[in-house]
Amino acid sequence: MFPTPIHQRPIVNQYIYKIFLPISLIIWLIPIFGILMTSIRGLGDITAGNMWGTPSEFLLFSNLYDVFTNTPMIKYTLNSFKVTIPTMLGAVALSCMTGFALANYKFKTNLIIFFIFIAGNFVPFQILMIPVRDLTFKIGLYNTITGLVLFHVAFQTGFCTLFMRNFIKALPQELIEAARMDGASEFKIFWRIILPLTRPAIAALCVLIFTFIWNDYFWATVLIQGDHAMPITAGLKSLNGQWITAYHLLSTGSIVAAIPPVIMFFLMQKHFIAGLTLGATKG
Amino acid sequence: MKKIIISLIMMFGIISSTSFAGTLVINTDTSDAAPKEAFEYIIKKFEEENPDVTVKWNVFDHEGYKQSIRNFLNTDPPDVANWYAGNRMLPFVRAGLFEDVSDIWKDSGWVDGNLSENMEHAKKSMTIGGKQWGIPYTYYQWGVYYRKDLFTANGISVPKTWDDFVAACATLKAAGITPITIGSKYLWTTAGVFDYLNLRTNGYEFHMDLTLGKIPYTDPKVQAVFDKWDELVKPGYFLENHAALSWQEALTPMVNGEAAMYVMGNFAVAPLKEAGLRDSNLGFFQFPEITPGIPMAEEAPTDTVHIPSKAKNKTDAKRFLIFMSRADVQEEINKILGQLPINKNSSVKKGDPFLKAGLNMLNNAYAMAQFYDRDAPAQMASEGMKGFQEYMSNPDRRQKILERLEKVRQKVYK
Repeated sequence: MFPTPIHQRPIVNQYIYKIFLPISLIIWLIPIFGILMTSIRGLGDITAGNMWGTPSEFLLFSNLYDVFTNTPMIKYTLNSFKVTIPTMLGAVALSCMTGFALANYKFKTNLIIFFIFIAGNFVPFQILMIPVRDLTFKIGLYNTITGLVLFHVAFQTGFCTLFMRNFIKALPQELIEAARMDGASEFKIFWRIILPLTRPAIAALCVLIFTFIWNDYFWATVLIQGDHAMPITAGLKSLNGQWITAYHLLSTGSIVAAIPPVIMFFLMQKHFIAGLTLGATKG
Repeated sequence: MKKIIISLIMMFGIISSTSFAGTLVINTDTSDAAPKEAFEYIIKKFEEENPDVTVKWNVFDHEGYKQSIRNFLNTDPPDVANWYAGNRMLPFVRAGLFEDVSDIWKDSGWVDGNLSENMEHAKKSMTIGGKQWGIPYTYYQWGVYYRKDLFTANGISVPKTWDDFVAACATLKAAGITPITIGSKYLWTTAGVFDYLNLRTNGYEFHMDLTLGKIPYTDPKVQAVFDKWDELVKPGYFLENHAALSWQEALTPMVNGEAAMYVMGNFAVAPLKEAGLRDSNLGFFQFPEITPGIPMAEEAPTDTVHIPSKAKNKTDAKRFLIFMSRADVQEEINKILGQLPINKNSSVKKGDPFLKAGLNMLNNAYAMAQFYDRDAPAQMASEGMKGFQEYMSNPDRRQKILERLEKVRQKVYK
């Protein structure tokens, strides 16, 4: 097995491992710890340069109150759900179908279509920024949740298709052939045989896409201008005052924004890890 | 037949104009909390006082507004739009997009008293070509914020002249205190220092000519400004690692007593007080005189309201502008904003020594500069401020920087 389990390594390596693991863990977690600390401070502490010391006041609740009352944070959170959930459903639904088609049917352009889906993943966002903005503007979807959702669905479907196609390809072919022999229509095969079997893959994809889209900042700032459709990641900047960067409120807001994907992660931890490794075993 | 068509058109014209009378469209960039609240308040008050007018108010994102206003003034003009005084409104005035409102300024019958007199000190920044193009409703002062206790401990009194100021810096430096804190990471703080040095060395008119591109950056008078600046930069009177700090982060040494002064706008007071400074150890003074005899102009970025020249309902728009110029209205707006009213008959929140000091200073000011990045065009301002920051870190490069700025000037103002 690779990598070799640590308890089978030489004793010196084990010690080095035991020493450096906590150290790197701490270094890794320092920024998050900093955000947590800042979220319970007041602006006074920050201006006075007290970033890491004991907070002079415990203001977590008043910061939370400010985050939700000074700005339309509740609306931003709702917007995030309105963007994330339809995208998740749309991308997963589409990719189940494309994945099924690409895995099961032999037709001439099969591989080419599959490669196009994959190639889409390699196009950097930034190149698409201006064309996508112009496109949504011309269709009349600029600055709307629908526009953002449609774009995300289109862009995520590429990755999802790769994922689903490989998963379905790995299913025993006999199941499908047996169903066909019994006279099941192609749709019935998809609905009754493939979908139930791909449940783990669907769950893993849902979790992945949920986190991807929830954490999206780039497209939210490119395609959305007003409060009415702004998701929480981009909405955080409204916590700043006219002159002042409100680090304490930004930290509190970031924590609020991070809660849904974190909950999602812990609830679906198994699927999440499965999702990250599924595609790796069968190419 | 023609007659019928014409009369039909006229009829429609009358019908549509009557349906417009009574609706006042206002566009503002007040997306931040306090300015939004201020406008909510005054629009409600205006509607209460003028029951025949319904206000339709569009709030634009603060940053996006700079682009939007160019579009909507041409294509879909509101009846009132907010903007900024000074050279910032020059392109719109030149393009004929703002309405001349000199009559409001002249006619004392419009308002509670004499507007020209009550706002005399702000008139210059609203005047282009001898006419006034809008009404100012709020501004705030710039100046020097300082630690009173550090001054007392080192036997320094508030400097009135340049020599006093430099001497105070020397004393503080010798005592191991950074005389002036500044955070120049985002460049604009350096422009505050430059503006004041230029206003005090060469005066308001010269400063305006420079920001309007009429004077080369290699001019001996600009050199004179940098000579004064040298007196502060070369002995190291500014905070050492200023280029790495934002304006806000540069407050920290002042809070901790490691730095004594900050050339800043009045918005610095709130975070300083939140961090523990009190009226007893935080003070404000006017930027000291440099060339004796030059009338003292101040840095006071001013927010204004204007009537687009293509507005549909100019009658009510004028009523709104007059309303905005009133002493009691300006008092209320600025209570919400925590800034200063322009009308001399307004008062400010009692018990705030900084607002009071600012009010006294600005009411007696010779003229208002609007800040370098508002007075100069965007491209010049951004290059200029880059240059100022570079100069503050490497004063030896001064000549090269000024030559570079001169090249930019020739390109920008072509």
